[in-house]
Amino acid sequence: MRYQNATAYRFLAPYLLIFAIFWVWPIIDSFMISFQATRTVPWRFAPTFNWGRLIGDPAFFNALKNTLLILVIQVPVMITLALVMAVLLNSPLLKARGLYRFAFFAPVVVGEVAYSAVFRLMFNLNFGIINKLLNSVGLPSVDWFSNVTPAMALIMIAVTWRWAGYNAIILLAGMQSIPEDVYEAATLDRVSKLKQFFFITLPLLKPVIVFCLVLSIIGTMQLFTEPFLITERGGPGGGTETLGLLLYRQGFRSLNFGYASAVAYTMAGLAIAITLVQLWLTREPK
Amino acid sequence: MATVTLNNVIKRFGVFEVVHGANIDVKDGEFVVFVGPSGCGKSTLLRMIAGLEDISGGEIAIGGKLVNDVEPADRGIAMVFQSYALYPHMSVEQNLSFGLRMTGNPNADTDRRVKRAAEILRINELMKRRPKQLSGGQRQRVAIGRAIVREPQVFLFDEPLSNLDAELRVQMRVEISRLHKELGTTMIYVTHDQTEAMTLADRIVVMRAGHIEQIGRPLDLYDNPDNQFVAGFVGSPKMNFISGRIVGRDAHGVVVELAGQEKTRVAQPLTGAAPEAGSPKIGSKVMVGVRPEHFGSAGEGDTDLVVRIDVVEHLGGTSFLYARTANGEDVVIQRDAAKVPDVSEITVSIGKSYLFDEKGLRLR
Repeated sequence: MRYQNATAYRFLAPYLLIFAIFWVWPIIDSFMISFQATRTVPWRFAPTFNWGRLIGDPAFFNALKNTLLILVIQVPVMITLALVMAVLLNSPLLKARGLYRFAFFAPVVVGEVAYSAVFRLMFNLNFGIINKLLNSVGLPSVDWFSNVTPAMALIMIAVTWRWAGYNAIILLAGMQSIPEDVYEAATLDRVSKLKQFFFITLPLLKPVIVFCLVLSIIGTMQLFTEPFLITERGGPGGGTETLGLLLYRQGFRSLNFGYASAVAYTMAGLAIAITLVQLWLTREPK
Repeated sequence: MATVTLNNVIKRFGVFEVVHGANIDVKDGEFVVFVGPSGCGKSTLLRMIAGLEDISGGEIAIGGKLVNDVEPADRGIAMVFQSYALYPHMSVEQNLSFGLRMTGNPNADTDRRVKRAAEILRINELMKRRPKQLSGGQRQRVAIGRAIVREPQVFLFDEPLSNLDAELRVQMRVEISRLHKELGTTMIYVTHDQTEAMTLADRIVVMRAGHIEQIGRPLDLYDNPDNQFVAGFVGSPKMNFISGRIVGRDAHGVVVELAGQEKTRVAQPLTGAAPEAGSPKIGSKVMVGVRPEHFGSAGEGDTDLVVRIDVVEHLGGTSFLYARTANGEDVVIQRDAAKVPDVSEITVSIGKSYLFDEKGLRLR
């Protein structure tokens, strides 16, 4: 048995080696780097240098505030929307279900740069279709890129467009795993479709909803593409800068790896903490 | 309590007709079992009575009232599903009361109904548990309880015992029988298990491929089947069928020669069509049906038959001999355990037998 185990590990060795070098070691190394002053040559060990700066850095708190704001508004809106989409997809009245399923899922497979470019065009002040639509119903044009509130709204709209369908497909799978006869029993019990949704579908779907929330929280904590490409590196004036963007700016623009590592660990820590709180709040009663 | 009347009920899925004009009259307070092999349309028929499936043709009336276009909840029925269909996130108590609470039934009445159902089914101590904390039998009790609280005119059971182990199935069968006596409500029960049908039913509806083959009291079906399918389906082990040919007539009926055994002839009295009318024709092929318990010892009956024994199953008091005729046809013979000889070939006599024509219809 022991010999067999050894053989197995020998076969696993190439993978384990690559995994250790490119996965485990960077995690450990970046943690150690976060305790070093990396803008001096050579780097020196300074435990409070980066972490101390983090606590007093207005740019960090701005990015944290923006990230949490997006998290608090966008994630619930997106999951609710995804739930509505899943209900529609699950409806027996719907024709060409496969086509809709593909259409809802398509944004995930569209290239990030392409989709960002299209969004920039659609929301353009002068010739974007969104402002044209607003004007056509008598509303004034919105300068989506120059003011903080519309810019934040734009980020949230973009992220929601990109990921709502993805979550809807996951929720749809959850809905389809609820046995049909439970609904039939409820129908015989004279329970209306709406009440069936709130008292049967939602409670039974809770584990799947929690899964989608956890995925979305982690995703939003790492949000980078949209503020980088759509609102041009967190513009206007850092108004849409997220923690992911701050990390990038510090690490790869200023080459301040120590501080970037501290930001990265803060992001990971926050994602874990928020997820744990959420799992605790939505735990199944014993 | 109510009668249930099905008048030429048809069900089509697209172009496929799966129930071909069913006519059934269920009397008030009667326990009727729909039985048949998988895919015979019995569950579909039940679901049409419940209103869970649309009717493609014909009429269904409950309590004398036409219900073709009546919502399931307004038909005065309650249904127990094969998979229990309990609400997994609710306690037993909530499962029982959910429907009544959702429809705004007064709390006092809901509590009374739930308490009564719990007492009838002896599930008082389970009320706070969730379905996953219950055994299969307990879940089925809760599912029945949920039907009881609706105080329906008709109970519908869709293979309620299929998911239980053999021992529990027998126990629950007795429980359901007791429940029927206690409540006196009309019950329609679907099963593929002929033992369940025989033990529970006041009347059995035997179905095959969307057709009703025969309706009758359990022993009537057993003793007097209309066709070869019913004869084979009702009774366990099933009736043996030995092929033969009509070779002559006598004063009471016909004489059948068993295939491959020219010397073995069975005299079969016929009371229906007069033999002289020329039906059935001499030379026509027939099936002779013999129940396992109707084989006697050699010389006890009219005809003796030599069979080769393959396997003997000892069940204690009785034994079953799995044997083959000279023509290679399988037969099962029931014997008292004490009378099973330790030989490879025995001669048995054919006692009571049934005759079926080439189409499987009973000749009588």
